[in-house]
Amino acid sequence: MRLIGRLNYDFVEKMGGAMRISIALAVISIASLVYHQGPNWGVEFTGGTEIHIKLAKSLETNVLKEGLERSGFPSESVQRFGLPGDNEHLIQFAPDLATFDQIEDFQKSLEDLFAESEDFQGASIQRIDYIGPRVGKELITKALLSILIACVGILGYLVLRFEFGFAVGAVIALIHDTLITVGAISLADKEFTLAIVAALLTVIGYSVNDTIVIFDRIRENMGNFPEKGFRELVNDGISQTLSRTLLTAITVFIVLVPLFFLGGSVIHDFAFTLMVGVVIGTYSSIFVASAFVVYWRKRKATG
Amino acid sequence: MQGVSRLWVTVIVLFSFLCVILLTPTFMGDKLPSWWGKVFSSKGISLGLDLEGGIFLLLGVETEEGVEQEMLIVEESLVSKFRKDRILVKSSSVSDGTLTIGFFPGADMDKALEIARDEFEEVTDIDSDGFRIRLSVKPSYVDELERNSIERVRHIIENRIKDFGLVEPSIQKSGEDRILVQVPGASKKDRQRIVNLIKKTAVLEFKIVEAVGASQENLLAAVEAETEKQVAEKGRAIHAGDTGNENERFFLTERLASVTGEYISDARITFDNYGNPAVGFTFRGEGASRFGKLTENNIGERLAIVLDGVIKSAPTIQDKITYQGTITGTFTPDEAKDLALILRSGSLPVPVRVEQERTVGPSLGQDSIEKGRFSMIVGGILVLVFMVFFYRVQGVVANAALVLNILFIMGFLSAFGVTLTLPGIAGLVLTLGMAVDGNIIIFERIKEELVAGKTAVHSIEAGYARSLWTILDANVTTLLTALILFWLGTGPVKGFAATLSIGIVSTVFSNLVVARIFTNMLYRDKKITEVSI
Repeated sequence: MRLIGRLNYDFVEKMGGAMRISIALAVISIASLVYHQGPNWGVEFTGGTEIHIKLAKSLETNVLKEGLERSGFPSESVQRFGLPGDNEHLIQFAPDLATFDQIEDFQKSLEDLFAESEDFQGASIQRIDYIGPRVGKELITKALLSILIACVGILGYLVLRFEFGFAVGAVIALIHDTLITVGAISLADKEFTLAIVAALLTVIGYSVNDTIVIFDRIRENMGNFPEKGFRELVNDGISQTLSRTLLTAITVFIVLVPLFFLGGSVIHDFAFTLMVGVVIGTYSSIFVASAFVVYWRKRKATG
Repeated sequence: MQGVSRLWVTVIVLFSFLCVILLTPTFMGDKLPSWWGKVFSSKGISLGLDLEGGIFLLLGVETEEGVEQEMLIVEESLVSKFRKDRILVKSSSVSDGTLTIGFFPGADMDKALEIARDEFEEVTDIDSDGFRIRLSVKPSYVDELERNSIERVRHIIENRIKDFGLVEPSIQKSGEDRILVQVPGASKKDRQRIVNLIKKTAVLEFKIVEAVGASQENLLAAVEAETEKQVAEKGRAIHAGDTGNENERFFLTERLASVTGEYISDARITFDNYGNPAVGFTFRGEGASRFGKLTENNIGERLAIVLDGVIKSAPTIQDKITYQGTITGTFTPDEAKDLALILRSGSLPVPVRVEQERTVGPSLGQDSIEKGRFSMIVGGILVLVFMVFFYRVQGVVANAALVLNILFIMGFLSAFGVTLTLPGIAGLVLTLGMAVDGNIIIFERIKEELVAGKTAVHSIEAGYARSLWTILDANVTTLLTALILFWLGTGPVKGFAATLSIGIVSTVFSNLVVARIFTNMLYRDKKITEVSI
């Protein structure tokens, strides 16, 4: 069976239009980040305390927040977590609202609240996270550093294996993917946690993987058909690998969907990030990375 | 077409067999016969705390404190030597690892310098400006002190946690000045006790009480001092009391204790005359004789039992005591048990602070495993169905390779002792989707070659040959990001990176070698003209 037969589609021609889409998405991402005052950093990065609780029935977050205030613990935020039916909530405290030594008191009064109030019957504490200020700062540095090193490492490997323009194209594509995925997380108002950083790095890996398969084919065509124009070679390369590009995106998506719906609250956001990333990464391999290579070649040809 | 390489087939069969053995405990659990564990040492895949439930604590060790303490010892020893040699010391102070000693005019500075050099030149840099001598710790010695105190702290915490009695706690050094404590299976109830066990410095001192007061001011007036520093200069100390008596909130005692908890050989929970929990202890060797001397000389006086600077009780000495003693106070049975445990393990040389905590309830872990397993099964089946639907016989080949691939990955996880975390499970599910990418690249290439009019055999050959570098290039970069994540990541994220890295290596192997062998087996000895793809 063939997903896509022989194609004579002029991808290169569409790249101008695609660039407008990319710029629009990037602008929306940045606007959302500006509007939300940066990513919604998780407690791992800001420092503080986060308590993950599971309720027996659905409750408005306000009820929970007020309940906590009555027991003398004004929380910084209470937010829903996972799918709506999970009834799971995250209670967060800024470092000055709950020091490490206060966690015990809080745990006790929360358990009292669960025992007393009818609303909270059957509720339980699932997880307690405390991050000291020093660790938080280190984790932010490490997270940013790992993304930066990944970009540099990939650039280095690609420079060794491909022409310089290809390498730059791939890195521009992955920066594009990272920015727009982060924008999507911000738009969906999801927490930016360490697991999300891990998902972002996976998206980077996936995006580059996708780009390389196309580049490899363009390069092969350059050797086999030196008489053809570069634009044609790029179009051929994209067309020939298009079935693979789409099929792989489909198989990855096939496993992400159950992870998103069935994987549980903790995995939910992680799967969300990857789903967005796979779509953007697939798009960018064709319309951003390859587009840059065409542009770069043209500049080189005209001097 | 190439035949089937016997070597590779043997390798794959042996490998699969090994992985099955490694993984049996993971899937069989308690149902395994007991001889299994004796024959095969593997315990299966180990679960991270986020899956198993338990407590994770990252402790910062305040090593600077150890350097400060060391300099205080130097101070005491030097000043007393100078006094003995009648060198007139005016003042001395320690700050930031530097000891400064000032002298009165006319003091024998040369002699003082000589003494200081004789004693401490190896570990400190010594200089003098004619009025003062300054000793600052050498950086190399600072390193040694810090290493020592971390190792000692780690050892003591290990003893305390192991004594607490939960299964397989792990206490490791982490980075430069941190200790990572992981106690699987610890419940929320255990949480506070474990935190207390770890954080208690547990310096136990025995001091004779000189005065008692309801407020600190009363006692300051009694020694004609205004600040605690002045009290210290007079060789005295004021301690807060936690004895349960409202009128005895503060105690005045001598500054330095002649007997401390370091001489304790054993401690256990007992009960006082009223049946309240208390902690009994036993001294050994020099401790017993010191304690005997202290009590003998002070019969009728009150003996303060000071734990981490707070007086727990201050009984009146009735008689000489040598070996045995009891600390009474307001303890619950658990507190008394834990205090006994802490006293047995010794006091921490420097304080620790909790930098990070994660406590996961067992239900969340169990829930995560079940959901992870379920989404893996659903995702896996969908991928298998998709591949057969799309690639027919070659789809079956890819699926067989995928199943072996998953077996290998889990076998590796088990063999290398990689801890499976929740993101790790997600990584495993993701690998299911990414693993067939290599097959897809090859199969699409074979199709192209077929369309171009090549024979079946040639198409398969060319499909594999031409995809080799594409697959390698594409996976090297992905592996690169996974390794960076492994290097810089912590906790669950590290588990994810480990799973992903192993997944990538195993996937490349199963794409290029395993699937190839299956294809070859399928078409061996046949003059094939058609490929079902």
